[in-house]
Amino acid sequence: MERIRAGLQVPALEHADQNSEAQIFETIQNPLERFQQECKANLMECLLVEGQAASAQTLAQVLQSLPQGEIYVQDSPGLRRIIDAAGTKRAVRWSSEGAPKESSQATVTLADALIAQTGSVFVSASCGGRGASVVAPCHIVVGLVSQLVPDLETALRNATAEQRLENNSYACVISGSSRTADIEKILVQGAHGPIRLVVIVDTKA
Amino acid sequence: MSSAAQKFLQDAAVKSADLVHREIIRKNMESYDAAHLRGRSRFKDWEAARRRCQEIKREAINHLDRYLLQFEEKVIAHGGHVFWAANGDEACAYIRDLAVSRGVRTIVKSKSMVTEEIHLGPALEEKGIKVWETDLGEFIVQLRNEPPYHIVTPAMHLNRQQIRELFRDHLGEDIPDADPQKLVALARRKLREAFFAAEMGISGANFIIADSGAVAISTNEGNGRLSTSLPRIHVAITGIEKVIPRLVDLATLWPTLATSGTGQPITTYSTLVSGPRKPGEADGPEEFHVVLLDNGRSGLLGNAEEREVLHCIRCGACLNICPVYRNIGGHTYNTTYQGPIGSVLTPHLRGSEFQHLSYASSLCGACTSVCPVNINLHHHLLHNRRDFSYASGDNAKGRTQFKLWRRAMLNSRLYVLGGWMMRRGLHVLYGLGLAGTAADPLRAWSRKRTPIPLPSQSFRKMWKKGLTQKNAVKR
Repeated sequence: MERIRAGLQVPALEHADQNSEAQIFETIQNPLERFQQECKANLMECLLVEGQAASAQTLAQVLQSLPQGEIYVQDSPGLRRIIDAAGTKRAVRWSSEGAPKESSQATVTLADALIAQTGSVFVSASCGGRGASVVAPCHIVVGLVSQLVPDLETALRNATAEQRLENNSYACVISGSSRTADIEKILVQGAHGPIRLVVIVDTKA
Repeated sequence: MSSAAQKFLQDAAVKSADLVHREIIRKNMESYDAAHLRGRSRFKDWEAARRRCQEIKREAINHLDRYLLQFEEKVIAHGGHVFWAANGDEACAYIRDLAVSRGVRTIVKSKSMVTEEIHLGPALEEKGIKVWETDLGEFIVQLRNEPPYHIVTPAMHLNRQQIRELFRDHLGEDIPDADPQKLVALARRKLREAFFAAEMGISGANFIIADSGAVAISTNEGNGRLSTSLPRIHVAITGIEKVIPRLVDLATLWPTLATSGTGQPITTYSTLVSGPRKPGEADGPEEFHVVLLDNGRSGLLGNAEEREVLHCIRCGACLNICPVYRNIGGHTYNTTYQGPIGSVLTPHLRGSEFQHLSYASSLCGACTSVCPVNINLHHHLLHNRRDFSYASGDNAKGRTQFKLWRRAMLNSRLYVLGGWMMRRGLHVLYGLGLAGTAADPLRAWSRKRTPIPLPSQSFRKMWKKGLTQKNAVKR
């Protein structure tokens, strides 16, 4: 700190005040449409449904498409209702029972927010913990259209206002499935995390 | 000339003539260029984004003491620990002692250039601790026992066949068709074992956020997330210059970093860690340590002219566009940070032994034109050259040359005479077939190239003729 302060004794160079009011990103007119477009570009599956019953039905369909095995679900009253309604025969490990197992076939969580600008889901540790969105080969997010915000700036302002990083040790803006292009710049999905990221959005909420 | 400078020149000559290397880099860079341009077009005003990022970093660096203390206070309040390391040795010792005292045998690392800078891996392995690099590119170069080739894409210099052979020899599995999908799957399987076995995860930080006491890590693969989620201890190590004032600043910095780094609108996992696992959370490390590294950075703070070099967000855009980097490749620099930013920074971090890098530039300014935080890179290369020249004291040859040049520029007759002598002399020399030999003053060019065709008359003469024959008539 002494060295830093000594360095800062040297006054900074003068610089012209620049116009920082210029608009950096386009204004988003239709957040839901933009969210769908960006999800597609991010190689995510965005499924629009109407109502909780439809959410459960869609979730059941997604789960049916996966190999046999346990799933890990964020322990929340809403997800307990949806899992019940989905009527899955799989073993369910709830987040209240601890971290997800490596053998989990899928993880099902809620999100804190959905971001239209980048087609992202904003999750924090309260969404089933840290591993819940990265350990299994498939991550399924059950979201509500009321959680959709137009851009990153709104999402981060809300997170600051709600003290999300005071109340959680972890948060992540997830924009697609795990991927790499480290070999000859060729895109490969499922590098270390999920190969599939599915977002079910209830448009009635 | 320092031994590092000699080695640089030798390696550069070899690399720039290596056709396989050239082809790999050309393919990679073309793919980056296209993605980068597409990414920039997604902004309504890219220049405004660069200015905004510059302002954020300037604000942070000019008040570095305040923001670092705010960050530290927050991290401690969240139950984390902060260690201030004056240099690489202190940082390595802290992490090594921590690992030993907690009985750590296996460490998973996500990508961090700072750990390369301080040689953390070897320091830990000395104590018998197994360190796994988990970013695919880093994993590949670790298996090859070589440093990263590029600060963003460490294994850019290798093609799939080379990676197939590497995996076959080190991981004991052959992928006959060298399909990237299968190569990635193999690395995933191997590294999963490491993730679930490791007691400590080490990450870098793309940003540290003062108002939230959080560390921001951008990764596409998710290795950064697993490294910070599964082991029981998380250590984040970062340079002091990575601090930014507010969480909301990331609304501009994240997209700008991703666009400049890979052309993506945003990195797949933009992660924020603010402490150890809280009561009631399902998982996460029990301990969270942040190591703030100085290692020469505060010296740059005291240099008002070059302070803005600390604004760098390590996106790699200046490497990708640099005509020198594109020809000599990353390893030739023999530094942690390569390309224009490395050439500016390394003499400050590692001393005058690396001053030759300030000359590894054509000063074309391409680096400055793409820098997402508007660092005036090519001017800083000039500043380095000037400071080096002053510091090295007597430069009789240079002074004599500049004296002669000054005199000729101030006296047109002398200038004409000089030009005439040069033309005549070169005509005779080239006529005798001595082009490119030690007697040729243009040897630097003609040693490996066709000599420049010599004009039969001076520019002044041509200009005058032009005036009388064409322009003068128009008047």
